[in-house]
Amino acid sequence: MTNEASLLYNYLMVGGALFALGMIGFLVRRNMIVMFLCAEMMLQGVSVSLVGWGRFHGDWGGQLLVIFIVTVAACEAGIAMALILMLAQRSGKLDATDWQQLREEGQPAYVDREVPEDPDYKEPVWPTLTPAGIEPPQDIEETLHRSRV
Amino acid sequence: MRDAIDTWLTLIPALPLAAAVICGVLGPKVLRHQSHWPVILAFAGSFICSLLLLRDVYENQRQLEQSGAMVAGYEHVTNLWTWAAVPNAYDLGETIPGDGPTPAADTGWRNFRIDITLRADALTSMMLSMVTGVATLVAIFASGYMHGDRGYWRFFAYIAIFVFSMTMLVSVSNFVLLFVFWEAVGACSYLLIGYWYQKPEAAAAGKKAFLVNRVGDFGFLLGLFLIWSTYGTLNFHDTQANGDVVAVATEGSADAAAAADGEGGLVRGVLGQSRLKANDFVTGGLATAICLLLMLGACGKSAQFPLHVWLPDAMEGPTPVSALIHAATMVTAGVYMVTRCSPLFGASPEAQLVVAFIGGFTALLAGLIALTQFDLKRVLAYSTVSQLGYMFLALGAGTYAGITSGMYHLFTHAFFKALLFLGAGSVMHAMGNVIDMRQFSGLRRLMPYTYWTFLIGALALGGVFPFAGFWSKDAILGSVHDKVHAIDHELEHRSGHGKDHGDDHHPATDGKTHIENPLAHWSDAQLARYSKIYLALYYVGIFTAFLTAFYTFRAVFMTFFGEERIPPQAGHHAHESPPVMTGPLMVLSVAAALVGLIIEFGSGLFSAAQGNLLSWWLGHTPSLATGVVAATRVPGAFHLDVAALSTIVAVAGIVLAMYLYLGERVQAERLSKAFNLNSNGLFGSPYKASLNKFYIDEIYDWTIVQPLRLLAFIAAWFDRNVIDGLVNLTGWIPAAAGSLMRSLQMGLVQFYALAMVLGAVILIFARLMYAAG
Repeated sequence: MTNEASLLYNYLMVGGALFALGMIGFLVRRNMIVMFLCAEMMLQGVSVSLVGWGRFHGDWGGQLLVIFIVTVAACEAGIAMALILMLAQRSGKLDATDWQQLREEGQPAYVDREVPEDPDYKEPVWPTLTPAGIEPPQDIEETLHRSRV
Repeated sequence: MRDAIDTWLTLIPALPLAAAVICGVLGPKVLRHQSHWPVILAFAGSFICSLLLLRDVYENQRQLEQSGAMVAGYEHVTNLWTWAAVPNAYDLGETIPGDGPTPAADTGWRNFRIDITLRADALTSMMLSMVTGVATLVAIFASGYMHGDRGYWRFFAYIAIFVFSMTMLVSVSNFVLLFVFWEAVGACSYLLIGYWYQKPEAAAAGKKAFLVNRVGDFGFLLGLFLIWSTYGTLNFHDTQANGDVVAVATEGSADAAAAADGEGGLVRGVLGQSRLKANDFVTGGLATAICLLLMLGACGKSAQFPLHVWLPDAMEGPTPVSALIHAATMVTAGVYMVTRCSPLFGASPEAQLVVAFIGGFTALLAGLIALTQFDLKRVLAYSTVSQLGYMFLALGAGTYAGITSGMYHLFTHAFFKALLFLGAGSVMHAMGNVIDMRQFSGLRRLMPYTYWTFLIGALALGGVFPFAGFWSKDAILGSVHDKVHAIDHELEHRSGHGKDHGDDHHPATDGKTHIENPLAHWSDAQLARYSKIYLALYYVGIFTAFLTAFYTFRAVFMTFFGEERIPPQAGHHAHESPPVMTGPLMVLSVAAALVGLIIEFGSGLFSAAQGNLLSWWLGHTPSLATGVVAATRVPGAFHLDVAALSTIVAVAGIVLAMYLYLGERVQAERLSKAFNLNSNGLFGSPYKASLNKFYIDEIYDWTIVQPLRLLAFIAAWFDRNVIDGLVNLTGWIPAAAGSLMRSLQMGLVQFYALAMVLGAVILIFARLMYAAG
């Protein structure tokens, strides 16, 4: 394996790993911000592989594409964040499943299965420390503001 | 001189068209109640142009006659532009039947070209001056009659388009253009009948006129197709092979045409001079078919028997329209067309007989209906139908005298019928738009001008010496009478000389004109039969003259005599019409009184004229100057016996009307009761049959309208349920397919993403498999 080929191989390994991780993250997480970050990660995986191919072929094409991708991704990120913010403000949650009422009429709702109660469950006993200092006064403003998050 | 004729020919239709455009563009906002000015000025300009055209045509004809080159009449054709040109459009092949040897030029591939060609000849120039003259007077009248109407400008724009179309109709030199303007005048008629479109009757009448005319136009169109496939051209005039006009008469030498013919460069026009000279017209069944189809078109436009039903309803339009379009000009288009095509009709005695029969029957039928109508305009409408029937009766005689007397009656009828209609309009104007003769009477003191002019019109229509109608009606009856005599004479001649059918005669095509007597071809039995039918039609004509005089004077007595009664609708302002309306009435009444005398005795005014002025003038038209029609030309004779008979019946009609309708009208009541034999039966009562127009509208309603309505109902049901059902079915298919996929839309982003990933994986896998395999 030549030096260039092994370099490409490494690039692709990193790119593929980024892509795969992003994809898995996108599929399994329900937090919209995390999902968005995962999507970005997939995009960066692609970018890395493009840079690798560009390097392998010895031209600027790959990097040129990456610059475009980064530009578009920036726009997309702005819009996506704005949308997520709006959704979060409406529902008070970042859970994507919370918007499942947008489904086709008549379809059954997806209900989170409650983890069955463990009959042997005991309230853990945490070690208690002696309080040190004075409990700071609660900021009413802040609790009101953050109450839904 | 030649350029001048072109100028007049172009200006005559162009001025009304310009007026229509001006009215249409400026009318609603700028001109408003001055909209009549451009129209009246344009009509007057056209009228002056057509008089100048008449003068120039006369000069040219005289020069031709003096130089001895007047072989086949005079025509001047001017080509404005080429409308359509298709090179090598059709193969003429062997399609020209003709008797003589077919000229080389009449076979092979030929270009198809439609030119906008206008012609000037005796017939056209006469029609043009008649149309523009009457139109000018009617437009002046209308500026008073329509005063204050909401659509004032619209009315004048329509009238101007109509006059444009009508002048084009009579001056074009091509069957296609004839058809185009035939339709155009029909469209104008529709627009003007339905002018008060808010009124349901007017809208329905316009629709009826249009639909009934469609039937006739369909026949006309088929006739044109047949002419085209028979003669290979639709031009009236001769053309060169490339389609350019061959100027035979204006060049002053028939040799030019002959030379062109010899080179194989001449295309004989349907009514072209070379064809007329060679008498190269198709005969037999084909000719009869062409003529009957053309006659169907003429029946529609000129309101003859099977298709006459639209004209009386057309009286819903404004009265000046009734005067101009539905009495004087447009309805005579059929008469003009048959006259123009008289050589075609001359080739088919059967078709001529049909024309005469339809004319005579319509004259009688309409005369009988007019007896009992109470609507003044409707009486006049039926009398128009009846008089048009007279014209067709004369045309159907097919002789030179018959055709010219038909045109003669057309000419005089235009004046006195326009006069009568405008008089009726004047009455209507004063009576608050009431036209039912039972609601008013004794108007002769209230409206002296209208009364006197109407009386002159009625005398002319009734055929009283020496008014115009007397002369033309006498000419018609005389020509039919002569026709009977000619047939009888031929029969006697044959019985003297044995059976000489003369079937071996062929029209000579070798330059020497030899047109034989058209009767020579007929068999004895045919002649005898035709003689009987024409004789019957002659008596029908006489009887109709009696009816005409009766119903005309019935209308006069009911309207203008008796005690003075004014309908409440007139209010307190029942008055004589303003001078702008009575002026045209007086001009027209002078014409109605004098035009017959001038035509009969005015031959001294022109050095070359002899006999009946109009007959002499029309004799210069190519269609009438040579060929079959000209062969029947005999020195004009005034028929004293016919004149005496028609005068007696006319006076009898007037006296009867006087007896019945002057005074108490007791006798009229008694008479109508006497004829009302069986008041309950549908056909049991002649009085009711006449009052209800012989139930022709009802018959049409039951035999044509209702079955078509049923068909329309069925079609609508089929459309709504079957066709729409199929369309809805195709719309339902995507929805059904969508409902299958709908369960996938569960609202979980992760699911969508997974589906996308799986799809991408499948695509990549497929691509890899493809690359590998």
